[in-house]
Amino acid sequence: MTRILLNSRLDDCLGAWRSAGFTVLAPVKRSDLTRFDEVQGASEMSLDIVMPERTIKEHFFLQTEPLIRYEIKKQQIETEEMVPPERKRIFFGVRPCDAAGLDIDDPLFGWDYKDDYWFRRREKSVIVTIACTSADDFCMCTSVGLAPDSPKGSDVMLHPLLDGRGWLVVPHTDRGKALLEPVSSILLEEAAEPAPVPAVPVKFDVNNVMAWLAEPANFESQLWKEVSQRCIGCGSCTYLCPTCHCFDIQDEGDTYSGIRRKNWDSCSFAMFTMHTSGHNPRNTQSTRWRQRIMHKFNYYRGKFGVNSCSGCGRCTRQCPVDMGITETLHEISNLPR
Amino acid sequence: MGIQEQYRKEAAELLSSGEVKLVIGYGEGSTAERRRPVFVRSAEYVSRLVLDGSCVANLSSYLVPEGLLSDGKKVAVFLKPDGIRSINILAAESQLDPEQVVILGFDIEGGQAAPLPGRKASDFTALIGSLKSAGLSPELQKDADRLEQMSASERFGYWKEQFSKCIKCYACRQVCPMCYCRRCIVDVNQPQWINTSSHTLGNFEWNIIRAFHLAGRCVSCGGCDRSCPVNIPLRLINHRMAKEALDTFGHYAGESAEQQPVLATFRQEDPETFIL
Ligand code: SF4
Ligand code: SF4
Repeated sequence: MTRILLNSRLDDCLGAWRSAGFTVLAPVKRSDLTRFDEVQGASEMSLDIVMPERTIKEHFFLQTEPLIRYEIKKQQIETEEMVPPERKRIFFGVRPCDAAGLDIDDPLFGWDYKDDYWFRRREKSVIVTIACTSADDFCMCTSVGLAPDSPKGSDVMLHPLLDGRGWLVVPHTDRGKALLEPVSSILLEEAAEPAPVPAVPVKFDVNNVMAWLAEPANFESQLWKEVSQRCIGCGSCTYLCPTCHCFDIQDEGDTYSGIRRKNWDSCSFAMFTMHTSGHNPRNTQSTRWRQRIMHKFNYYRGKFGVNSCSGCGRCTRQCPVDMGITETLHEISNLPR
Repeated sequence: MGIQEQYRKEAAELLSSGEVKLVIGYGEGSTAERRRPVFVRSAEYVSRLVLDGSCVANLSSYLVPEGLLSDGKKVAVFLKPDGIRSINILAAESQLDPEQVVILGFDIEGGQAAPLPGRKASDFTALIGSLKSAGLSPELQKDADRLEQMSASERFGYWKEQFSKCIKCYACRQVCPMCYCRRCIVDVNQPQWINTSSHTLGNFEWNIIRAFHLAGRCVSCGGCDRSCPVNIPLRLINHRMAKEALDTFGHYAGESAEQQPVLATFRQEDPETFIL
C-alpha cells in the first residue's frame, strides 16, 4: 500500500513538523522573485511553477557568509569563529534538479576537510522534493542522466497524483523516513496513480561531450571563441546554478577589527583569476567560458566521478544574451568526428 | 522588401565591399521569442541576421571592450534610437570614434521593426531631438509616481527589500554600454573601496554607486532591467536620474557626440538649489 498526502492536509502536516521543531522553507514569490524562504502555511507556497528563479543552494552556501570576527589588540589577536546555528529545516517542494545539485556538491565541500558551514546546514536539513509535472524549453535534466522524478539528493519524494488530490509520498533515506513519523496519522494508506512526468527532450549526448573535452587538443579549439562571442561576462549563470560553488574570502573592516567573510565568486568574472602582478591567465571571456564547461564536465568528474550539472537550465533561461551550457554542449556533441 | 531583407542586403554589401569588418546584429535565439546578439564577418552568413519586433537589446555595448575598434576599421551595428544615443555618449566620452560605427538604424513601432534613415550617429540628431521633446516614458513615470508618493521611510523600505535580492552578478553592469570601465570601482581592491559582500549594505553601495555613475548618461535602453536575474526594477532608478538631469539641467543623454557630460560641466545658469 502506498502513502498519500492530501492537499487539504498539507497545513496539518506542516504544523506537525513545526511542532517537531522544524522550520519549513518552500518556494515563495516575494517582491517579484521566487525563492526558498520560510513559510508558515501552504497558501504562501508557489508550487505550480517549473522552478523558482533562485536555487536552494543559497541556504547551504550563503551568498555572503561571516566566518570569523577578528580584533587586533596590543598584545594579542582575538578571533571568534561564527559557526552557523544548528537549525532543523525542511525544504519543501524542491525540484529534483536542485536536490541533485546539493548531492553533487557534497564531495566538494568534504574532500580535503569538512566545510562546517556547508555540512552543519546539510546535516540538519531534510529535502522534500516534488517530482515535476511540467517542464519548459530550458529544462535539460535528461541530458545529464537525471529525470523529472529522479530521487538523487531527496530525502522524501512527493509524486503529484493524477487526480490532483495530493501527492504520493516516497521516502528515500533514513532522514526521510524519520520525517514521516510525526505525520504518519496525517498520511492516508491507499493505492493511487501518480501523474505522468513531462517528456524532457535530450539536448546533447553527454558522453560525446565528455570524450571531446577530455581530448587535450580541444583545449585550444576555435569553438570556445565562437560559442562565447556574445558572453558579456556577468555572473548570473554561476550564481543561479545549483552546483556552482566558487567563493572568495574577504576581510571587511579596518586594520584592527572586522569580519572575515566567504562570498560567492564566479569564474565568469575577469577578476576571478587576476594575479597581484596584473597578469591574468584567463584574460578573455572565451577562456573563462571554457573553464566553466571544463570544470563541470571534465575536471569535476575526474575528481569526484560526477558531472557538476543537474540540468535545471537556469544558465540559459536567465542569461541576458541567451547563452548557456545547453547550447555549448549541443555544439560540442554535434561536432563531426 | 521587408526590413529584414533590406538590412541583410545592406549588411552583405558593407561586408563584401570591405567597408566594415564586422556586422553586429540579432539572430534567432533558443526559443521562438528570443533574439540573441550575432556577429557576422562575411557576406555569406548574413542570412543569420534577424530583424523584427523582438530585437530589443542595445548592441552598442559590444563595441567598446577588448579593443574591437583599435585597428581603426569600421563595424556596422543594428541600433535603435537608444543605442544611437549610447554611441553619442561613448564618442563624447572618448571611448570610440563615431566615424568607425556604421549604424543600421531601426525602431520598433506597434511591435514591428521599422527602418530609420541614416548611417552615422550624426544623421540621427534631429530624430533624437524630437525624442527629447516627446519627454521621458509616461508608463515609467506612472510607476515612478507611485514611489514618489511614498514617505521617505516607505521608499527606503521598498528599495531595501529590492536591493536585498541582489546577488551581485553584475549582469546590469556587463550589459550596459555606459559601464565600460576597465576596472569597475567595485573591483578595485587596493584599497577595497566597496564591500564585495552581497549583504544589505554591500548591495546598497553597489546599486547606488551605479545609479550615480549612470546619472545623465543612461539612455533608458532597459538592458540592465531586463538582465537582472532577480527582477530588481532598475528602470525606476535610471528613470529617476534621467528625469533629474532633464528637469534640472535640460540634459537628455546622448543628444550628440559633442554633448558635454552633465556631471562634468558647469554653466553659470545651472540651478544651485541644493547648495545651502
Ligand atoms: S543603465 Fe541600464 S538602461 Fe541605462 S544605458 Fe545602462 S543598461 Fe541601458
Ligand atoms: S543584475 Fe541585478 S542581481 Fe545582478 S548585480 Fe545587477 S542589480 Fe544585482
